[in-house]
Amino acid sequence: MVGEFEFLILSAAAHLGEEAYGAAMREVIEAKCGRTCSLGALYITLDRLEAKGLVQTWMSAPTQQRGGRAKRIVRVTGEGVRAAREFYQAVIKMSSGTVWGESRRSGLPGDAA
Amino acid sequence: MKGPTASWRCVEAAAGLLAPLEREVVLGDLAETDCDVWRGLGDVLGLVARRQLALWKSWRPWAASFGLALPASLFLMGCSVEASAAVADVLREPEQAQLLWLSLFTLFLVISWAWMAGFVIGSVSRATLWASLLACCVPCLYCLSKWPGHGLSHLRLLIFLLPGLWGVWRGRREMRLGLGWAVLLAAMATLTPLMWGKGGWVYGCWLFWPGWYLAATARRKQE
Repeated sequence: MVGEFEFLILSAAAHLGEEAYGAAMREVIEAKCGRTCSLGALYITLDRLEAKGLVQTWMSAPTQQRGGRAKRIVRVTGEGVRAAREFYQAVIKMSSGTVWGESRRSGLPGDAA
Repeated sequence: MKGPTASWRCVEAAAGLLAPLEREVVLGDLAETDCDVWRGLGDVLGLVARRQLALWKSWRPWAASFGLALPASLFLMGCSVEASAAVADVLREPEQAQLLWLSLFTLFLVISWAWMAGFVIGSVSRATLWASLLACCVPCLYCLSKWPGHGLSHLRLLIFLLPGLWGVWRGRREMRLGLGWAVLLAAMATLTPLMWGKGGWVYGCWLFWPGWYLAATARRKQE
């Protein structure tokens, strides 16, 4: 099963689709999760995910916006989708019956946070 | 990325520690995000540190730095001093000229052993050469600070250093030697520690491994 940060990266890549690469994925993770994400952690985790066959990466053509530098484009593989789904279902199952799991359904105060 | 150009140059310089493709990607990511220079520098150095740490999961950097560079520097310093002293004695007392060839041969063994050790260090762990150099330099600097005498006598400690660095350079480029050369060096590597008595060769036996490692990984003709 994937780890928590691996799951975040898989989810960010899935959200971004064709536009998934380092800087964009970091922005999504920071905006949605409210936590900082270093490029070091991101690229090391991407390497690990690629070694497990959960993502594929390749270099794009250089763009002007990036000072003429290439991007490392990321795509989630079928295996990656399965692994992320497995993690997500485990979290949902584990959360059912807990305070945070119930507050999600009933919309209790604190859910917004 | 926000910040003066000089600071950006610092980030680019730090990114020089990354592999070329990764440097390109990371600098591109930083160029299009709105982070400040300190965060950019942290990102780059963090990635460099993680990459270096990952390398140390393998046996290679350990073998190169602590298994070879450190003991070899101590061994070779002793050999350098003895070999150069033997040559100096013969030159001072010409009536012992018959020993000159033997003294030059021991000096040759030291120099070729140093080259071989450098080659193995360069080929076994290219990405962690800094650690091997550190493991070699620390005992050298310590001995230099303790060594009685001045000028040329200091340099006698370090006769092995230049051939060693040459070996590192070749090892990084070629990775493996031809079988003939590798076996020759392995035989020489076995002989060198035996040249020094008083228990020195017992310590030197540990240093047989680089020669036989080269022989084991040598290029065969059909490759």
